[in-house]
Amino acid sequence: MDFDWSEQQRAFRATVQAFLKAHLPADWESLAHGPGTAWQSDFSKKFCGELARAGLLVPHWPERWGGRDADAWTSFILAEEMWAAGEPRGGQYMNVNWIGPTLMRFGTEEQQARYIPPMARGETIWCQGFSEPEAGSDLASLRTRAEKDGSDYRINGQKIWTSYAGHADTCFLLARTAAGRDGLSIFLLPMDRPGIVVREIPSLIGEGDIHEVFFDDVVVPASALLGAEGQAWTIVRGALSLERVGIPRFALAAAMLDRAVARLKAAGRFGEGAFGAAARAGAASAAARLYSYQIIDQRHHGITTGAEANVARVATVTAERLVAEFIVEHVPEALCGADPMLLVHHQRAIVAGIASGAAEIQLNLIASEFLKLPREPR
Amino acid sequence: MDFTLTAEQASLATALDRLAAPFEAVPTGFHGFALVSPELEQELAAGEFFDIALIPELGPLTAALAVERLARLPYTAEFALSMLVRPHLPGEWRRPLAVVEDGRPGRFVAQAGTVLAIDGDNVAVLQPSPDAIEPVESLYAYPMARLKDGTRPTPISAAEGAALRKWLRVALAAEVAGLLHAAIASTVEHISVRKQFGRPLGSFQALRHRLAECAMLAGGVRLLALKAAWTGDDGDAALAAFHAQDSATRVVFDVHQMLGAMGMTLEHPLHLWTYRLKALLSDLGGRGGQAKAVATHGFHTT
Repeated sequence: MDFDWSEQQRAFRATVQAFLKAHLPADWESLAHGPGTAWQSDFSKKFCGELARAGLLVPHWPERWGGRDADAWTSFILAEEMWAAGEPRGGQYMNVNWIGPTLMRFGTEEQQARYIPPMARGETIWCQGFSEPEAGSDLASLRTRAEKDGSDYRINGQKIWTSYAGHADTCFLLARTAAGRDGLSIFLLPMDRPGIVVREIPSLIGEGDIHEVFFDDVVVPASALLGAEGQAWTIVRGALSLERVGIPRFALAAAMLDRAVARLKAAGRFGEGAFGAAARAGAASAAARLYSYQIIDQRHHGITTGAEANVARVATVTAERLVAEFIVEHVPEALCGADPMLLVHHQRAIVAGIASGAAEIQLNLIASEFLKLPREPR
Repeated sequence: MDFTLTAEQASLATALDRLAAPFEAVPTGFHGFALVSPELEQELAAGEFFDIALIPELGPLTAALAVERLARLPYTAEFALSMLVRPHLPGEWRRPLAVVEDGRPGRFVAQAGTVLAIDGDNVAVLQPSPDAIEPVESLYAYPMARLKDGTRPTPISAAEGAALRKWLRVALAAEVAGLLHAAIASTVEHISVRKQFGRPLGSFQALRHRLAECAMLAGGVRLLALKAAWTGDDGDAALAAFHAQDSATRVVFDVHQMLGAMGMTLEHPLHLWTYRLKALLSDLGGRGGQAKAVATHGFHTT
């Protein structure tokens, strides 16, 4: 057991930091909000293209798909630096973290050849069509239908809270092909198909972020089905476990806590009244970081991650909340435009306990799988 | 960054598990406040476990792992300061170690070979004579005693005092981590069995979520303690100690709430962990003291 970075890991982090310094525009911090505006979507394609050319977009992918089989630490160090910088990859972080790897595992050769190379070049934006008006935490109850129609599927229904849908090229869509949890299937759906309507929902969390997506008799060929009919639950569980510890939220939280404290110190406002809340937020961020590192270490050693991933997620949600609360209490001007990155952090922190599975669902899983408490009667 | 135990750490953990086995259960009929074991103390001394931080292949991180493991026992002995703080004392000082802050009663003061006397910013060291010690009764699950007035400790330098405070924080966090683990495990056992309204208490979401959060906090304390032991960094030590006292404050309340009246009795062992945790809550100025240390050392603001 040790808590040191290797020389190689330090050098890689320095490379990523130097890349960010060289490739982010001078006014990046005031542009980092969004994260799904038209400008950001365009910028993410330019930026990810440059990352790809530098070998920094998908280093952990296999060589066949443009990577170099780098280890789990490499991709996580990369993710930490990207997230701490305000995530200039925009929605493309999903391609890198889980959509690409999921297609490599479950996709047909045709699907892989069509979708993976543009991801590896940083040219394409995906959205994740999971939540519905009647299916949030209870995802298995979703109603969007995909009905076999000759050699095609006909899709009808509605998704909601869909991030990046406004500028996405493709949707990773979860739809019902039969009744029950085993009746869910995944479709790789081009967003330019007739019958798809996207409406942005104005929100607290930034421009261009969440949407409603309507599907009215959208026809896709059977070749758009990922894996087999009814296999969605298996595929999604694997994908979400990558997603949950995929975003190093603690990295931006810790950086913004440091920035808030620096700001208070400079103004002579960092007094004993703020110490307790600052220490609580700092400790929570440091704990979330180590919890996440523990999961990455398991991945690195090829150990299947259990409920520790849920604990890591709740620790991260807690850290996000405590840092955001510290800033609202002690640097209230952050929400009035005093520092665009503190505002970006606040907006992303709002999402932390809700996106990719509500924190309360994680707590249930911790109780059952980690503490081994008796389950709730159903 | 590697969370797998080294071969040396793993074999030490196995040895400690073996040593700890006879001390896992509370003796039948024990209804006291503190369950102190001279035999545990002797076994640890005989196995030279108090010096593991000084062995290069083991070091302070392994010592912190050992403190966390031993703190899970219902029995207690003075191991945390001996393992993590004693290597940083200026010169050779006898163990067991105790701390007396601002003249208040301290843990293991009556047993101590060496007492660290902390008065505000000053740290001093003394080897107390038996007539300078006055045992006191308390609810805490440690033997408590105070130093009589008129003892003359040897002051140590500000730099040495700061190093001792840092390692006291690491020791505090490592001990709290083990105590939290055991208190939560004891609570899991109780609410998995105890039924109300026809089902185990642990199947009610109001308790499940609360205990899951406690477990998240406890694991975080452990990770921060281990990291601080590895880095020996002032900021890491302050964060670990703050998180330890802050989390313990909440967890102690929550687990007693879940044990109900059972947790109020001396028949149930819960208090052997929670009333050690309560004794640790006031160390080094409590949360206010740790928060001040975090404010000084814990943020990167340049």
